[in-house]
Amino acid sequence: MPPLDDTAAASDDLRTGLLALQEVARRAAAAGRFQVHAEERLLQLIVDATASLFGAEAASIALFERDPDRLEFRVAGGEQGSDVVGMSVAPTEGIVGYVFSTGESVALSDIASDPRFDRQVAERTGYVPRSVAAVPLVTDEQVVGVLQALDKHSGETFSVRDMELLATFAAQAGAAISGTRVQHDLPLLLASAMRELVPDMTDDQVRALVSTATNGLDADAATPFWALVDQVSRLRDLGEEELDLVGDMLGVVATHQSHRGRFGRR
Amino acid sequence: MTVGIVDSGVEADHPALRGRLIESVAVELRDGEPELVPDDGTDLFGHGTACAGIVVGMAPEVEIVSVRVLGSDLKGKGAAFAVGLDHMIERPVNVANLSLSSKSEAMMPVFYDLADQAYFKRVMLVSAVNNVVGPSYPSLFSSVFSVAAHSEPDPWRFYYNPNPPVEFGAWGMDVPVAWRGGGQTVGTGNSFAAPHITALVALILSKHPGLTPFEMKAVLAAIADNERPA
Repeated sequence: MPPLDDTAAASDDLRTGLLALQEVARRAAAAGRFQVHAEERLLQLIVDATASLFGAEAASIALFERDPDRLEFRVAGGEQGSDVVGMSVAPTEGIVGYVFSTGESVALSDIASDPRFDRQVAERTGYVPRSVAAVPLVTDEQVVGVLQALDKHSGETFSVRDMELLATFAAQAGAAISGTRVQHDLPLLLASAMRELVPDMTDDQVRALVSTATNGLDADAATPFWALVDQVSRLRDLGEEELDLVGDMLGVVATHQSHRGRFGRR
Repeated sequence: MTVGIVDSGVEADHPALRGRLIESVAVELRDGEPELVPDDGTDLFGHGTACAGIVVGMAPEVEIVSVRVLGSDLKGKGAAFAVGLDHMIERPVNVANLSLSSKSEAMMPVFYDLADQAYFKRVMLVSAVNNVVGPSYPSLFSSVFSVAAHSEPDPWRFYYNPNPPVEFGAWGMDVPVAWRGGGQTVGTGNSFAAPHITALVALILSKHPGLTPFEMKAVLAAIADNERPA
């Protein structure tokens, strides 16, 4: 971690701020445990709906990930979609890369007849389309990924109207992502909050603070506390009676703890 | 007439360009700061070549100036775009084709200022409308020629929309376009519509070089293919 400068380290305000950041980081991490697969489930619904609405052979969503920079296909729908999940392309490659880089919606057809360009990207994903329509996924002014639809069953190309509809689906996906991405983008989120709060802080100082605040979150993953959070997240599907029972049991533990606190360990 | 293409670069030796690319630069991030560097006339994606090809196809005598603002380093994309646009205004070119936009509210004042500079220097900015909901600069500014796609396969057919922010409609569906590696494809999107208006503006300017942006808009509105009430 880069050292904080002495003035910054000495400031009580900053120390209070850091504690607050750590608390935010801890709660966001806990929230993330509860939301495992929530993003995937929402995105899956969107690509399934896209494939069915357009009568497309495949529809998929690729999201931008860092280290290394890439667009990773997270979900896919349609008969030809499944092979692409888990694959990545560079953000400088193909129509997906172009749409991500510019935020502009584009459709291309007649791809399969030309072996020189996007076909290479498509071949790696296991299915070479004749036509593709791709629109950006936008959250909070940022392009975070791309929604694409490949080949209509009817053989028609994608129309201007199709692109507008696809953009509407992408807006839903964007909303789903910003609702569930708190944990995923936690360091980014904290850094942007710090820049907002203390505009004259240098990038190194911001990085140092964020790193301090998020330090240990991963190391914490195996502790009994996080194991309990995981257990609790699995209780969501229980019925009312079972949930009452779990609540009673936790109540007993809490009472036991408070007695122990009052009278010391027995 | 010089036409600027602010995009993914333009492929110098693509047959569709007919040797009309006279200058090629790129914006790269050096130590986090966007900087203009010479470029060897390559196109990362094919999109800039597609736009330039449409322009040269309709206005074969234009000279194309390319500034590549998309690169491998994706940080500071909006800033790179602004530097590229600034280069086109300072150079200046007669018309600049912008098939991209920035969604960043923080960059809005920068683009606002650039759009004003362009307007006063008589550099016509032709921008594809972004069909994603939300801010999109500079395509939403009033001094810019904002273009959306229509589906009639005629490069010369265009419409004027009296209800902005989108002011013009040009062919943007199933347009045969040049692409990377000397190739071709068929493209759909507002970004393929904008170069049709760019080419028209260049042609009109070559005949009437003194026109200001607002006069050019008035001319386009008057010769558009839609009937308007008298």
